[in-house]
Amino acid sequence: MTVIKENWIFAETELQKINPVTYQLITKMNQISHDPVVVVLIEGQADKLENQLSEYGPDKIMTIKDDALVNGDDLEITNALNNLIKLKGTPNTFIFPATVVGRSIAPRLQARLRAGLTADCLDLKFEDDLLIQTKPSYGDNIMCEIIIPDHRPQMATARPNVFSAEKYDNPELTIEDITNLDWQKDSNLEIKTQVLPPKTSDDIATAKRIVALGRGDKTDPGIKTAQQLAQKLHANVGVTRPLTDLDNFTIDDQIGQSGQTVAPELLLNLGISGAVQYTAGIANAKVVVSANTDSKAQIFKYSDYYFVGNAQEFAKALEANL
Amino acid sequence: MKIVVCIKQVPETTNVKIDEKTKNIDRRGLGGVINSYDLHALKAALDIKNQVGGEVITLTMGPDDFAVSLQETLALGADKSVLLSDRAFAGADTLATGYVLGKAIEKIGNVDLVLLGQQSVDADTGQVGPIIAELLQVSQVTYADKMIAKNENLLIKRNLGTVEQEITAKLPLLATITETINEPEYTNVVEIAKSFDKTITTWHAKDLDLEDSRVGQAGSPTIVCSISSPEKVVKQGHKLADDPVAAAKELVAALKKQNVLAEDE
Amino acid sequence: MDQKQISKEILLRMVKSFTTNEVAPFDMEIDHTRSYVNDLFNKIKKYDFLSTMLPKEYGGAGFDGETTAAMINEIARGNASLAVTLEGHFKSIDQIVKYGNQALKDEYLPQSKSRIIAFSMTEPSGGSNPLGIASHAEKKGDKWIINGDKIMITNGGLAEIYCVLVKTAPKELSFFVVDKDMPGFEYGKQENFLGLTGVPVGEIVMNNIEVDENHLLGKIGMGKEIGDSAHNDARVLMGAVLTGIMEHELNIVTDYATHRKAIDTPIIQMQGIQRKIADIAVAKETTKLLYQKAAWLKDHRQDYEQEAAMAKAYGSRSAVKSGDNALQILGGYGYSLDYPVEHLIRDARAMEIAEGTVEKMRTEIALIEAKNRA
Repeated sequence: MTVIKENWIFAETELQKINPVTYQLITKMNQISHDPVVVVLIEGQADKLENQLSEYGPDKIMTIKDDALVNGDDLEITNALNNLIKLKGTPNTFIFPATVVGRSIAPRLQARLRAGLTADCLDLKFEDDLLIQTKPSYGDNIMCEIIIPDHRPQMATARPNVFSAEKYDNPELTIEDITNLDWQKDSNLEIKTQVLPPKTSDDIATAKRIVALGRGDKTDPGIKTAQQLAQKLHANVGVTRPLTDLDNFTIDDQIGQSGQTVAPELLLNLGISGAVQYTAGIANAKVVVSANTDSKAQIFKYSDYYFVGNAQEFAKALEANL
Repeated sequence: MKIVVCIKQVPETTNVKIDEKTKNIDRRGLGGVINSYDLHALKAALDIKNQVGGEVITLTMGPDDFAVSLQETLALGADKSVLLSDRAFAGADTLATGYVLGKAIEKIGNVDLVLLGQQSVDADTGQVGPIIAELLQVSQVTYADKMIAKNENLLIKRNLGTVEQEITAKLPLLATITETINEPEYTNVVEIAKSFDKTITTWHAKDLDLEDSRVGQAGSPTIVCSISSPEKVVKQGHKLADDPVAAAKELVAALKKQNVLAEDE
Repeated sequence: MDQKQISKEILLRMVKSFTTNEVAPFDMEIDHTRSYVNDLFNKIKKYDFLSTMLPKEYGGAGFDGETTAAMINEIARGNASLAVTLEGHFKSIDQIVKYGNQALKDEYLPQSKSRIIAFSMTEPSGGSNPLGIASHAEKKGDKWIINGDKIMITNGGLAEIYCVLVKTAPKELSFFVVDKDMPGFEYGKQENFLGLTGVPVGEIVMNNIEVDENHLLGKIGMGKEIGDSAHNDARVLMGAVLTGIMEHELNIVTDYATHRKAIDTPIIQMQGIQRKIADIAVAKETTKLLYQKAAWLKDHRQDYEQEAAMAKAYGSRSAVKSGDNALQILGGYGYSLDYPVEHLIRDARAMEIAEGTVEKMRTEIALIEAKNRA
């Protein structure tokens, strides 16, 4: 086994687009790595996705242009990546996005290579060649630092949207077409793929995006604006307790202590002051945006972004911008 | 169809803290339960057995008291269980765990379908399924949302967010199961007593054809160097522009950069 | 772990998960609608909750008193009414197992897997003084003819089988088992009680119900003994219900006090609040130990009536007081019908009266103390 001083990233694509998590991984690895950062890209013969990857400045992109492999199953991609390693050598690290795709292929390849793999990393750093991986456990209640001292590649899947992507013009960038890669087919699975339309959840408890309305915005036009914004965002509408008295909402729509606990990717609070009964229900929301006329509103302490002013005007402006 | 369901016993809550003195996870007073995803896998197995007949065998690796969880699977309808228990298995990471489970499945023999929950709620890796599939040299379908038997095959649906896959899979196969696939039953009170008519077999390391170097700590490439409680994330609270239109523009740009909104939204 | 411990753990795992997912989220709705929403009663039947302590030879799960009480405790954390409905059924099964003749057991115990059995003693003319009742049974040939009116029956209307206390002679009390499908059986008025509103409490009217000799529970004249025994068994389980209520109160109040801030300090840092919370915790744990001891004594065939009386007397008073303290800590939210604290007080309050009043419990406890020294 020849170990090469390179750090590889598996580029995830879907529907002939790069999944943005790939850019995040490139930026992160560029920041922490002394050795070349190499992206492994599987794409169709006619695709030019390497152009988009280039903007984020890895040191090298290895493209495998293969129409069959683009739609390959986990086993086939494992076979191909294993052969790529045989061809090019064993990289020091090999990072995958912690997506359904990455979390399915990486462990299979790990078992093939008998290497170590850490799941769903929230941070990565190097000590010389050793990758220090920070991994959450117990539903993010515990953080572990994990190393893989004696096996190469050091493998990890890294959680999307933890690292930010920065465009970077890398003068060293080279693109290599891998043309002679054989891989063994898996005839046991027949896969048909169809595109799903974006969809809102029927339940705010599982909704990915929520527009939440509070007492400060309970007028009819306020509600209408919020509903229009929600529609555009494919979001659900949630409310604080006072609004459950209105005909439009029930207790099922209520967020907070006596209502539902929510965990959306994006929560937009319109006219919500931030009483503890409400904030108890939003602790697991990822990105929180709040608009309120009161510049000292409690809710701002729970927010990533806040707007001081009329929530309805802000919601309208936001809708116009989408 | 002969189906093996791998289960894991996990703490009843993931809301755990670090003991300040021992620097280890404080699990005092915490009971164990079957990993919730595995209950969906068990239900999926029982549904397929209902459909085409066969046998459902549950399998776990862990200390002897994990037998409670296996007994629970018997009360839920599994036909028999195997417990893999040996001091040599201690300290195993996902690779070493997958190796021992894979060897046990080989020993069970003629298994058509291996099911696991998509991940465990304590370690949160989801790696053991694909590792077993690789060891057994069978195809894998992870994160299965729907599964029915048809002719000699399984029809499986996977929801990948933007796309949905419909998969026709030949057996043997390994699949991992999401929580949306079905609604697991609760254990029937009377079935608990009846479940003791079924058997739980215990296999130790010597009962399996194992290479010592691939078992337990020795077979585990990953090492945990430290654990800690995450720092409480204090929201940065970035104030947007005073003008609503400017604020909206600023927010949309920021959310796109963070990938919270898609480029084309 | 032996089979008994493993079985208990599996049962309690299931009950915990069932309570968390199916019961607790509907607690307020059960209280407000006075009914077991979420199809709860059918779910309870489907998973054989009704057979928990029914002996195995009649198709039950055969769990002992301690495990059954632990199960009731767990359910009561989610909703006290549902726990009391089960308690009423279990104490009735207990009496048929203890006093029933073989034919009666063979007929009704297997049915108890899906049909609730209720125990009815109270009448408009008397409750705790059983000789004040008017219902009576007369022997005609080899049949008994039963007439009378029973009120305030726990699970009345929901239950399908009733153990009824009647007079078989002016100073002679006996129990019979009647079925809602018997000619002459009628349901009467439902009560409109303050608390435990999920539990139907109602009336039955018996007009010349004709039963065989084997429907006599125990022997003629054993009415008082069987009634006392049913009370004792109920009180053990009520201790478990009350423990569950206090656990529920403790959860609400601790959670609230940890998050609620006065200026910038969570109110749990304040001594006045701490004392109230500590008192709830001590009362909860004391009641738990009392009912567990009573159940253990019962399982080991030792006297348990004093411990059962203590569990209920101490537990009911404490749960009401704890609820009042919890309400005070939550302030306006505690006083709101949209928050659960107020109904926990109403629920607990019922158990200062049902199955013997707190006053009667104290009399019994004192008399047992006296007897032990005699």
